[in-house]
Amino acid sequence: MSLEDFRPMMDRCSNCLGCKWVPFDKVKSMRFGENCPSVCYYNFNTYSARGRFRLGQIILDKDAEYSDEVTKVVHSCMACGACDVACKVARYNLEPLDHNIALKADAVKRGKILPEQQVMIQALKDEKTMIPGAVKANRGDWAKGLVLKNLFKEKAEVAFFPGCKYSYDKKLQGVARSAVQLLLDAGVDVGTLGDAEACCAGRAHQMGFIDEFDERADANIKAFKIAGVKTIVTPCSDCYHTFKRLYAMRGLDIEVLHIVEYIDRLISEGKIKFTKSVPMTVTYHDPCHLGRQGEQYIPWEGKEKKILNQIHTWDPKRPRYNGAYGIYDAPRNILNAIPGITLVEMERIREYSWCCGAGGGCSETYPEFSAWTAGERITEANATGAEALVTACPWCESNFANAVDENGKKIQVFDIIELVRRAL
Amino acid sequence: MTLVKEEIYQAFEDVVGKRNISRDAAILESYRVIPCQSSDHRGPYLQKTPVPQMVIIPETTEEVQAIVRLCNKYGIQFKASTTFWSVAGYIGGDYAVQLDMRRMKNFEIDSKNQIAVIEPYVIAAALQAEAMKVGLNINIPGVGCSSSVVASTSSWVGFGPTSISMGCASENLLGAEWVLPNGEILRTGSLGAGSGWFCGEGPGPSTRGILRGKQGTAGSFGICTRMAVRLHPWPGPTFIPTRGTVPAYKADLPDNFKSYTLCFPTWDAYADGVNRLHQNDILYLGHRQFTMFGRDIKTAMIMILNDPDKQLADIPALCEDPYLKEQNEKMKIDIQVIIAGETKRDTEYKEKALNKILELSGGWKSELMMDKDLTDYVLLYLIRLGHKNLNFVMCGGYEGNFGLSPNVFVSSSVMEEASALKKKWEDEHDYIAAVGGDSDMGSICTMGGGGTTGWEFFTHFDSHEKESVEGTADFFNATQDWMTEKKLGTDMGKWNQSARRPDGYFYTQEEQDEMFSKLPQPLVTAYQYKVREAFNPNDLSGSYYRTLSTKKLEEISRSEELK
Repeated sequence: MSLEDFRPMMDRCSNCLGCKWVPFDKVKSMRFGENCPSVCYYNFNTYSARGRFRLGQIILDKDAEYSDEVTKVVHSCMACGACDVACKVARYNLEPLDHNIALKADAVKRGKILPEQQVMIQALKDEKTMIPGAVKANRGDWAKGLVLKNLFKEKAEVAFFPGCKYSYDKKLQGVARSAVQLLLDAGVDVGTLGDAEACCAGRAHQMGFIDEFDERADANIKAFKIAGVKTIVTPCSDCYHTFKRLYAMRGLDIEVLHIVEYIDRLISEGKIKFTKSVPMTVTYHDPCHLGRQGEQYIPWEGKEKKILNQIHTWDPKRPRYNGAYGIYDAPRNILNAIPGITLVEMERIREYSWCCGAGGGCSETYPEFSAWTAGERITEANATGAEALVTACPWCESNFANAVDENGKKIQVFDIIELVRRAL
Repeated sequence: MTLVKEEIYQAFEDVVGKRNISRDAAILESYRVIPCQSSDHRGPYLQKTPVPQMVIIPETTEEVQAIVRLCNKYGIQFKASTTFWSVAGYIGGDYAVQLDMRRMKNFEIDSKNQIAVIEPYVIAAALQAEAMKVGLNINIPGVGCSSSVVASTSSWVGFGPTSISMGCASENLLGAEWVLPNGEILRTGSLGAGSGWFCGEGPGPSTRGILRGKQGTAGSFGICTRMAVRLHPWPGPTFIPTRGTVPAYKADLPDNFKSYTLCFPTWDAYADGVNRLHQNDILYLGHRQFTMFGRDIKTAMIMILNDPDKQLADIPALCEDPYLKEQNEKMKIDIQVIIAGETKRDTEYKEKALNKILELSGGWKSELMMDKDLTDYVLLYLIRLGHKNLNFVMCGGYEGNFGLSPNVFVSSSVMEEASALKKKWEDEHDYIAAVGGDSDMGSICTMGGGGTTGWEFFTHFDSHEKESVEGTADFFNATQDWMTEKKLGTDMGKWNQSARRPDGYFYTQEEQDEMFSKLPQPLVTAYQYKVREAFNPNDLSGSYYRTLSTKKLEEISRSEELK
């Protein structure tokens, strides 16, 4: 959809500014009641989803010049979707997150992009990754020492897709190895795409680089088809969302599972059995793209239809993505199944979770803002009394690892896979 | 439009720092609002309020004071807003600055004295959550929990579902820290005598009438930077436990909380029942809520909101469901109530009294709304009041009209006639949603034991469609004609039309003189002019305070003498 296509939503946004808060039914305190990192950090209403709807009108109507400030507003959205969930508690016909990304796409078309984004997109084109400095030749380093099927040469039940962050980040490569070893030990028939694996480009989409995303998505979908992939399992929440939602929109029709779903299934089938205690009080951070944005794509084609004079509906009924069916229980089931672990919850969880700060490419484009966002989450985690913060996404883990809370206090950060490995 | 000089902008920037002030054209544009879409339905389609000179985000009272003093020094109007829900919070002139109060979010709770001291950005949802931690609660006005407590307490009528047990905003306002339009700080009530926040009247200056008056928006000079509000007992857990899938969240409250939808066969029976409920002090909360969607589709909407897989396209099929149809008919004249017992005996007593009142007034409890999921949905909905954005769910735009707020016996006697007028417009035009006429919402409180249960009819229109927006304005003209004929006063949709012009600007004094000199009692506005002269001498605090100048009053007096 182009920016102009969002005009009805811009006009129908009611200025309630609920998009700045967690769903009001879920507000448990003033300190952790807000949900939009962007408006919390930059303060001007323009940075909220409502402000962005107004900005869309301003841009379309040419009411103001496209200043550097506008570029900053547009690209400082983490595409975390917290506004989307909050809005849709009471609105059935607005799509704040899609609009935020459309604003970015419009900016990209106008050439209003950031230098850091240029570097990432160039890396995507040249090295098939959005991690600046990484080279394609080293992509398989994470799997050194593992004997894995290459899906272009052998068939396997499951295609394991680690994603760029696990592949290139030396601190996280071990997690990817642990993940695939877990599957192998549980008797799962696993393979990878080997040298043909490339970035999912989900972050390009989050940043509004739609053409670049489309190009990479189509190439990956083609590769999956050639390799005969039927089920793909990934430990990366960004890749998960990209395959499950964005690729599905482009015709990908395979089962997409996050590793937590697969491990949860293996535990319930008795194929993973814990033998060790991990005595630790932990709290769990829901990654945005696994949780509220982790819902299955449902194909739909239709148009707006008014009933009873002015009530705005869709004909046929349009699927609603509001975080209702994201992946929230699987990681909690796993943590609750690990002997010794006590799970305590933060105030903002599940569909109304606070972002880790890495979304929308902001960890590269606005590092201070990104670190502050992560720090806010560390503060919230520390308030639970937990010893560790557990997550299921390498971007979240990486962004939390160096963050400190408002008192300068750190917390241990784990990928859920690490805790599972410890308990085996 | 005159732009502020560089040195003036610099002076403001020096107060709050570079990061908290902006004059970027797009940022400024984003602080405009279309009154037609925000509680002032009259102006041309898509007409916006003026562009501010700058947007400033202060953090402390001292910064607010410094900003106001600079405004006085340079002759610049100012307007503060918090959540920007209402057009009343936006500037109304070209040479004006917009203050965004979102950085002022501190609060303190004095549980022993049942007082909360809050800054402007503390919204009702957050304050309620904090108060519940110590066994207390706040009255959340009808605008909902997304609203700033300072804003609604200082600048709006402020009644809501719990007003029957907790009173309205004017009654809950205690001490206040008030930056006057000239930059002086006035501490009102007991705070002004150095005695703490506990009382709004004294010892110390009681200026409640000037600070906010009855309606609220007719006052609101200057900027309230801190305010104390009364907290009330909360006989529940330290937070509201919830369950359910978004958006159909429900409360898991203990058995001392009961929610019912009470139904009545006639409006006379309704008035009798509501009056008895008011007289007998048994309710924690009383509010006619779900008819806001419209009499014909009420149960369909309740079903949609309680099922994550349903949406507005399901309305027609649900309206044909025989059971829902029957229930809808039985809930034609209804109200939602909540009992909250302090003890088991108290709960039993209140339940018994409620049943007796129903017996005496000929009412009954809705069978549909006794379903456990629905009672728990209603408990969460009305106690937190966190779904006010549903006002806009159907069409994107809504405006309240009629405003039948005399005592309940008067308002209920005209409800069917008002509903019929609305239904006629729904049937004969397609500007507004056709939902069955009656779409009234209101609380049991104030005058006449339920005077505001006929508060506002929700008129749903498409804010994207010019014909719908403009046709709605025509409908409001028709309802005003009917209100005038019935001697019921000003239609709610027009309450603020003497404060802001159709083009979004405030009226000049000359324009106000022209309007208010024709009032039956112009001396009220003449008195207010004197108050404004004292409190707002440079007329910079862009307000909704209606005034008739002394000069104009003298002219009127002379012409009266000549007669």
